[in-house]
Amino acid sequence: MHTEGVDERVRGVLSALLNLPLDRVPLDGSREALEEWDSLKHMHLVLALEEEFGIEFDDDEVSSLATVGDLARAIEKKRAAAGGR
Amino acid sequence: MTSQGATTANRDRAEAGAESYPTVFAAVARMEKAAEKFADEISFLFLRNVTIEGIDVYLKYHLFNAGIRPRIEIGGYGTMNQDVLSPDGPLARGDPDVIVLALDPYEADPSCGLPGWKSERLRAELESLFELLATRTRATVAIHTFIAPTYRELGLIVDPHGGDLTSQIAALNSFVIDYVRQHAPRFCLLDWDRYVRMLGVDAAMDQRGRYLWGAPFRRPFLALYAQQLSRVACALKGRAKKCLVLDCDNTLWGGVIGEDGIDGIQLDPAQYPGKVFSAFQASVLHLFERGVLIALCSKNNEADVFEVLDRHAGSRLKRSHLVAWRINWDDKVSNLMALAEELNLGLDSFVFVDDNPVECGLIRELLPQVSVLEVPAKLHELPQLLFRDGLFDTLQLTDEDRSRARLYQGETQRKGVRAAFADIDEYLRSLETVALIQEVRHQDISRVAQLTQKTNQFNLTTRRYADPEIRAFAERPDCAVYSLTARDRFGTLGLVGVMIVTLAERVGRVDTLLLSCRALGRRLEDVMVVNCLRDFAASHPVDHWEAEYIATKRNEQVANYWPRLGFSPIASSDGRTSYRRIATAAFEAPPSHVTVEKE
Repeated sequence: MHTEGVDERVRGVLSALLNLPLDRVPLDGSREALEEWDSLKHMHLVLALEEEFGIEFDDDEVSSLATVGDLARAIEKKRAAAGGR
Repeated sequence: MTSQGATTANRDRAEAGAESYPTVFAAVARMEKAAEKFADEISFLFLRNVTIEGIDVYLKYHLFNAGIRPRIEIGGYGTMNQDVLSPDGPLARGDPDVIVLALDPYEADPSCGLPGWKSERLRAELESLFELLATRTRATVAIHTFIAPTYRELGLIVDPHGGDLTSQIAALNSFVIDYVRQHAPRFCLLDWDRYVRMLGVDAAMDQRGRYLWGAPFRRPFLALYAQQLSRVACALKGRAKKCLVLDCDNTLWGGVIGEDGIDGIQLDPAQYPGKVFSAFQASVLHLFERGVLIALCSKNNEADVFEVLDRHAGSRLKRSHLVAWRINWDDKVSNLMALAEELNLGLDSFVFVDDNPVECGLIRELLPQVSVLEVPAKLHELPQLLFRDGLFDTLQLTDEDRSRARLYQGETQRKGVRAAFADIDEYLRSLETVALIQEVRHQDISRVAQLTQKTNQFNLTTRRYADPEIRAFAERPDCAVYSLTARDRFGTLGLVGVMIVTLAERVGRVDTLLLSCRALGRRLEDVMVVNCLRDFAASHPVDHWEAEYIATKRNEQVANYWPRLGFSPIASSDGRTSYRRIATAAFEAPPSHVTVEKE
């Protein structure tokens, strides 16, 4: 499993979207801690990650996933279920 | 178009096709810096009750590529009326050029979609919002059709009374379309319902987004919507192309006339591939009707080409549609430059169509101002080619547009006559020019605005105005908008001159002075200045006149215009020179070869 790869890619997408340097979006960075990560940015983030990884988050996940790490884990799970591309 | 815009456009065009959000996002970030230097700016205010965020990136993308720098503000969610009326709302803070309405009927009317719902109440609300915007702003208002439901709540049944949702939305849409019909160019239409048909409902609409975020549109929809809005902006900025220059062999018909002969070329409307070329010619005629000038530039024997246009039963394009042609064996770069000179147009208002990639490449390389369209390898795409990029889009057809080809054909006759005269004065007298100078009439406001948007060469200040601004000038007591309409023995030239004068503290200031390129060379400008200033002074207290020259890439020919009329320079910086003149000093008599009429 490409754990590191997914983490890094999620951080990359988030840093581009929030216009923050990579070190400001660590794995434990959360919606609560990062004020730039507002609900609108969250919508863009969800859509960008779905595009990037070719997955679709469940409706409930969209609102519950709240840290960089949560997102990466959820993406890995989906990719594993889809055959671990 | 600025050169930065043009080069960026070429580099990033490839990415536009994919239109994946991250790529567009990155392209915009890259262009942001260069865009700060663009001369053209346009401001948008979105009034909405849906989440439309993300569209700003696509809008910037398209406008950067056109060399225009947008300012985009998105109003509060569902607070359209407050945004318009509130004294500290976005409308009060800014003065947008374009107001975009983006309304979800389900949000605007909570009972929308319930059994027995009627659209009347929503229609009344829309109408009052439209009227509010028309009276409170000077903006062009972009309104939209609503998206017809893809399911039918009655199943197979057709409601005999039209009470079903589909029929109600359709009624709402006819109201919206009709409103634009009656209020263009102040209002323009963004056809959401058509975008969904073009993209397919699954690519366009996002049910999850609608319920989770109030964001019913997928990105392809936002991308298309933004592209269409960018066309509105380009039309407002006078970017519409004016002249279509066509190659002949394998562009207007299939085959080579010099080799295949009139009976051998493919132009049969009943049979492929003639059918495709026939449909392409129909597209050309549509542009002719919109006032686009049609010209030919091809390597052929002239007689062969005109044999097709005059005699081939399948040729919808006739000699009478053409404003000019260069059918010879010279290189097309020289020919296009000669056409531009003959028509008095900038090359940046030309669109060139050719099937030969080498010719296309040469023009792109040597005349980058010209928009080049290559006949597509998939020939069936040819008939749509001219409409694909919205190159000729304007917000309204004026009477001038409809008769433009005739006006220019008169000009060709005039040029023929000029050659026969020994000197220019004799020629000018022979034209028997009559100039009608008057304060702008209601029905001429659109044409006057259009001239401020399109005139580049004889334009002292190049201030671009939309209809509402011209109307506002005309209504101010301390201000006058004059128009000049000319005719001569060959026919009418139409409304070709505009002058705007404002008054402040006994100084009359020339805000705008411009003359359409087809009226140049007969000193109509002098006739206009002298008569308008005299008229203005008769009804306003004026001690001094002030005027300006603002340099652009295209108006160098008028750099020394004001000194010629006895104005003295008083300040100069950044390509901007101000002049002043005592109002009581008499002007030199305007040229006698022009007869002046006043209303």
